[in-house]
Amino acid sequence: MARAFARKGKGRTVRYAAKLDAVERTVVAGLMQQVHDLVAPEPGDATTAARGGNDFDSIVSGLGGLGMGVSVSAEDQLPDARPLPHDARSFGDRDPALERLLPAGNRADDQASAEFRRLTEHSLRQRKARHLESAIASLRAPGSGVELDERAAIDMVVALTDVRLVLGERLGLREDADVDRLEKELDAADDDDPRLHAMSVYDFLTWLQETLATAMLPDAGPNA
Amino acid sequence: MSIAPVQEEITSSSTDIAPDVPWITLVWNDPVNLMSYVTYVLQSYFGYERAKAEKLMMDVHTQGRAVVSHGSREKMEIDTEALQGYGLWATFQKDD
Repeated sequence: MARAFARKGKGRTVRYAAKLDAVERTVVAGLMQQVHDLVAPEPGDATTAARGGNDFDSIVSGLGGLGMGVSVSAEDQLPDARPLPHDARSFGDRDPALERLLPAGNRADDQASAEFRRLTEHSLRQRKARHLESAIASLRAPGSGVELDERAAIDMVVALTDVRLVLGERLGLREDADVDRLEKELDAADDDDPRLHAMSVYDFLTWLQETLATAMLPDAGPNA
Repeated sequence: MSIAPVQEEITSSSTDIAPDVPWITLVWNDPVNLMSYVTYVLQSYFGYERAKAEKLMMDVHTQGRAVVSHGSREKMEIDTEALQGYGLWATFQKDD
């Protein structure tokens, strides 16, 4: 059973501590690995993806695979017949989840968006990959406690965002009304609908991120 | 996103803009980002006070978008890149 993130101390010695059991860590880290594969500049690059990957793979292989049965890989998604959001400018046949992580920079000017993408995409991909790598390392540290310094907490809260953005896109959450629509659909869904499990994981990630983001608000501490 | 973006036809965006024309960075609503997290990002990236960050966050939530910074095009592109790095749905454009 998980325990929420809470802030301990302040200033340079601040720490954000939570408790997650082995299954929870595996699920979250597995999804982060999948998002890393999606967004990293060179998927499979030896300097990042393979670091310690064998141990991790062997651990999760006994637990039902990388996202504990939740795959955010583009190939595993049912076709979504709905058109892409009008404002998600198309730059070819990119995966909509990638389009959400790296959206068009200018909604009024395709040329400006293309230039922005050319100048920023590589560094944005690197930055997101680094956050995810750090967060995965924090979740794989020994013990049931997760204790993060400020830097590691930033990596974690951003990595949780990117995982929720990808999982949210896979669940069809593109505007506020989609949340209610999905909940109604799932209320009436068969027990074996894979979206039920994906939604429970999404809700867990939401709860976890909410507790961390709230603890990190600059003047949210007890001595503020 | 439920609110249509402001459409503006610009055929040549980088050559005929007067240097004093202000540009803006916008954050758009989405169903995934948390109110607490958006507030956290606006406070920590821009250094905004809690009250200002929460007002902008609520504008995003209730009006579909908010202008979070003003300045030169170059600065707005930097802000947009940084906010996209945090996972916010940020864009830049010329102020109307």
